[in-house]
This record gives sequence, structure tokens and C-alpha cells, in this order.
Amino acid sequence: MSIDIKGVNKLFGDFVALEDVNVTIPTGQLTALLGPSGGGKSTLLRIIAGLDSADSGSIEIEGVDATKLPPQKRNVGFVFQHYAAFKHMTVAKNVAFGLEIRKKSKAEVRDRVDELLKLVHLSQFAHRLPSQLSGGQRQRMALARALAVEPTVLLLDEPFGALDAKVRKELRDWLRRLHDEVHVTTIFVTHDQEEALEVADEIVVINEGRVEQKGTPDQLYDEPANNFVMGFLGEVTTLGGHLVRPHDIEITTDPISAGAEEGEVSRVLRIGFEVRLTVLTDDGEEVVVVLTRTHARSLGLDVGSHVWLAPAEGANTVLALDKAATSG
Amino acid sequence: MVKEPRLFRIVLGTLVCGYVFMLVLWPVALVAQKTFEGGLDNIQTALQNPEVTHALLVTAKVAGLAVLINMVFGVTMSLLLVRSEFPGKRLVSALIDVPLSVSPVVVGFALVLVYNGLDGWFGPTLEANGLIVIFNTPGMVMATCFVALPLVIREVVPVLTEIGDDQEQAARSLGANGRQTFWRITLPSIKWAVVYGVVLSLARSIGEYGAVRIVGTNVAGDSQTATQYVTEAHNSPFPVDHAAAYTVSFILAAVAVLCIVVVSLLRPKEAAK
Repeated sequence: MSIDIKGVNKLFGDFVALEDVNVTIPTGQLTALLGPSGGGKSTLLRIIAGLDSADSGSIEIEGVDATKLPPQKRNVGFVFQHYAAFKHMTVAKNVAFGLEIRKKSKAEVRDRVDELLKLVHLSQFAHRLPSQLSGGQRQRMALARALAVEPTVLLLDEPFGALDAKVRKELRDWLRRLHDEVHVTTIFVTHDQEEALEVADEIVVINEGRVEQKGTPDQLYDEPANNFVMGFLGEVTTLGGHLVRPHDIEITTDPISAGAEEGEVSRVLRIGFEVRLTVLTDDGEEVVVVLTRTHARSLGLDVGSHVWLAPAEGANTVLALDKAATSG
Repeated sequence: MVKEPRLFRIVLGTLVCGYVFMLVLWPVALVAQKTFEGGLDNIQTALQNPEVTHALLVTAKVAGLAVLINMVFGVTMSLLLVRSEFPGKRLVSALIDVPLSVSPVVVGFALVLVYNGLDGWFGPTLEANGLIVIFNTPGMVMATCFVALPLVIREVVPVLTEIGDDQEQAARSLGANGRQTFWRITLPSIKWAVVYGVVLSLARSIGEYGAVRIVGTNVAGDSQTATQYVTEAHNSPFPVDHAAAYTVSFILAAVAVLCIVVVSLLRPKEAAK
């Protein structure tokens, strides 16, 4: 097992950043630490890198106890949200930094830098300064710099957080493909559930300093351990006292199934190809239903339509225990 | 933007220009004029006077040492103030500004009280070990260090705060130890601030008079600094000494102006980066 985190606690003053965190990150995989801002995921990543220290607990990297090791002895690559580019060095010098610290020969450094710049598609920018690159290019440079030292683990702290939506999506695909090429054990922190679901092999959901659930994207999406995980991984609504995804609700204009809830459409919102309905059931629940525009048109739905709602066959539902947990 | 009435702008402009002219430009220009009365003769005569050259050398030595010490201490202190937490940090940060507000003469007296060899708090111990501070070069260097203390720190601290420690952390994660991180990452990032602080310190140090007057002996040809020479020569009854006073004043002013010019040339470079 690549990274073993055992009983890690961290306090910032009175604030509990991490509380008894136990998690194992598998070798060679792309793992996402997913959770809301301030939930402790970045702190955990920084503790793995040695940039912060845990109050108690231990970190093992590839069987080596790293708890007390300084960052430069852990052989981890770290990529920061705001790139942390060395502003006074060219792109090539940035990438070469870790190699020069390790006293590699000049020829070796040059070859490795060339190879890495090719990998991140920045060969033609080798002699530019970071300030002459776009945000996405800077982050690719930072990634090449971290990969240069052949780290045991690559750690990325909200790597795409400072980029605009389009570049973020491109880099996300690119990171996935890059990982398929280099297979280095990678952990990345994100608060974007779509990013985690799309890119990661494994997801660890962290909230309020605790691990809520760990599993593959499918496991998490299909079998959420609790209301929080269900709510955080995608939109949810309450139907008949259960949490259910709005697109997993079957809507009919006739009472077909026995358990269906009866109600009236109170609001219709069209966003591109989808239509979002708010249905007020006779039990007083406000249910959000999402369906395609074509489907909505074929049913002739509009404000005031009388409808019946039931969870679609095979849909996941979780008993709604705590309404507050689903509001996120 | 709505412009002020034309007359108002003219009056304001005249007032500001007149103020700067009367206070700064005219007096300084007069020093230059007196220096070059009769061409380069004054300068030549003055530079052949061993008292003058020695005084300039003493100033260069004391100011140079003080600037060097201030640079090393200033950068170290700035790093401590920005990058680490220690008890008394706020107190230290406040104390660093004291030299800006306290008269240099008071600074000189304070140093004498602590380090004099007769009844000083610390002086007798030092003198017993062969280090004479007061009425000696170490005291003059200390006094100059004291008055120029905040200049490097106040330049470097904001820059260190602004660049943050992301780059330093990245360097650490790439395998650099503390020393390598400082030389390869931190220092290149703050180098213009350090240069600016050093230049300001230099300008301040060569002009120091009061504090050095108290802790130094003011012996011509021995421990007398350039500013002290100017005072003595100016009070002398002989016109040749007056000419020398103008010359030394002019040199001091020229070095200070050169410092300012160098800094203003450096500044835009830094901003464009």
C-alpha cells in the first residue's frame, strides 16, 4: 500500500481541521480528496507532503514512516493551486530545479527537461518566464517540475481551482491521460464533485475533518454511505421522506404505480436541453424533478399540471434523516 | 474627473514648486556653486588635504561596514518577522521603527551609557576583553547601524509578505534544504528590495552626524568623519577651510543624489517584472 494515514489529528487553535483520519491511498492510482472548502482535505494533503505537521498520528509512504521527515526528504511532488512558479527562472529552469538540487549531470538535466516539456506540451516555451505563460500553461509547467524528480507520490492541491471553466475541463482530461501514461501515485484535492467523478480512480470524501466515505466513483455515487455523501456528489431532492436524485424521478400525468406521490407543478425552469420542475406534493413536499425538454413537451407539462411522482426503477434512495446535510 | 479651476491649479503649482525650491533646490545648488567657484581648484585643493581624504575614508569605512551589517541583519530579521512566529514578535516589529523617531544624538548617548569603558552597563566587560567600543570605530559603526536599522527591513518585509511562501514550499518539496531555498528562491525574489534598502541605508549612513559625534572622538586625520569635518572646517576662520567644507558637502550630497538616481532607475525595472 502506497500511503498509510493513521489516526491523524490536526488543530488550528480551536478549529478542528482533521479528526482521527485513517485512510489508505492505493499505489499507482489517481485518488481524489473531495469535500467542501474548509473541510480539511488540503490540510491532509499538506501533512502528507510535510508542509504541515499533524498534532498526532502517522504517515507512511511506501512502507517508510514519513511522519517526522522534512518535505525535502519525502520525495513527493507538490503542485499548488496558484502554481508557485519560480518567477525569476525560465520554464526550463523551473522544471530543472529539483534535478539541479539533486546534482544530476548537465546532460541528464537537459534531456529530462526536454522530455518533460514535451510531455506537458511546453517545449516551445522553454525559454520564457512564467509571467509570459497563461494560467493553464503555468500549471502544466508546475506539474512537469513536480514530475521531474520522479516522486513516489504526486500531490495536487486544487490544481485547476484558479483556472477558468474551459481550461479547467481541458486540463482535467489531460491530467487523466497523463496519469494513464506515467502511473505515478497521485492524490489531488478538489471541491468539484464532477472533477472527482470524471478523473479519479478512487475518491475519499472528507467533511469537517473526517473521512465520510472512500470508494470508486461508482461506489460513491451508487451507494453513498450517508446523506452528506449523497448530497455532495450530486443534486438531491426529497420524495416521500427519501433522498433521491431529481433525474431519477419518474413523472407521469396518470396514477400508474401504487406508491406514487400526487402533486401539482408549481414552477418550470428551462435550461438548454433540460427542464427543471418544482412539484408541490399533496403531502406538502417540494420536489425537484429534472427531465429532458423533449420528455417534458411530450407530457405537456406546465405550471398547474397534475402529476404523479415515483423514484425510477433502480434509482438510489437514502432515507432523509437530516435535512440540513442535504442542503449543500 | 472634474478638473479644479485653472487659477487654483496655477496657484497650487507655484506654491509647491516654490516650497521645494526654497527648501531643497536653492540651498543645495548654492553648495555646488560655492564648490565650483573658480573651476575645479577647490576640489583639487581639498582632495590634496590629508584631513579631507582621511575623513572621507573614515565615512566610507564606517558607512560601508554599517550597510553590510544592516543588510545581513535586515534580511535575516525580515525573514524572521514574516516567515516565523515567536513570542515578542510584535514588540520587535515596533522597536525596529524606533531609530526613525529618536534623535541620533539620543542614540549616541544611549550607546555611551551601555558601552562606555568606565561605568557602562556592558562596556567594562568588553574593554577587559580588549574591545573598546565607545570613542572607537566599533561604536561609530554601531551608532550608524542603529540609525539606518529600519531601512532594509521596511523595504524587504512588504515584498516577502507579498510573494508569500508558495515558492519556498515548492522548492522544499522539490528537495531543496533551507540554505538552498534561501539562495536560489528567496533571495532572487527579494533582491530589488534588498538593493533599494541598501542604497537608502548607504545614503542615510554617509550623512550621519549626531550619533557618531557622541560616540566618536572627532580627531582630525584619525577618527573624524566627513560630516564632522564639514562642521569643523565651516567653523574655521580660514577661507581655504570653507572651500574644503563646500567640497566635502558637495561630495556627500552628490553620493546621496547618485543613490537616489540609482534607486529610481531600479524601481521601474522591478515594477515591470
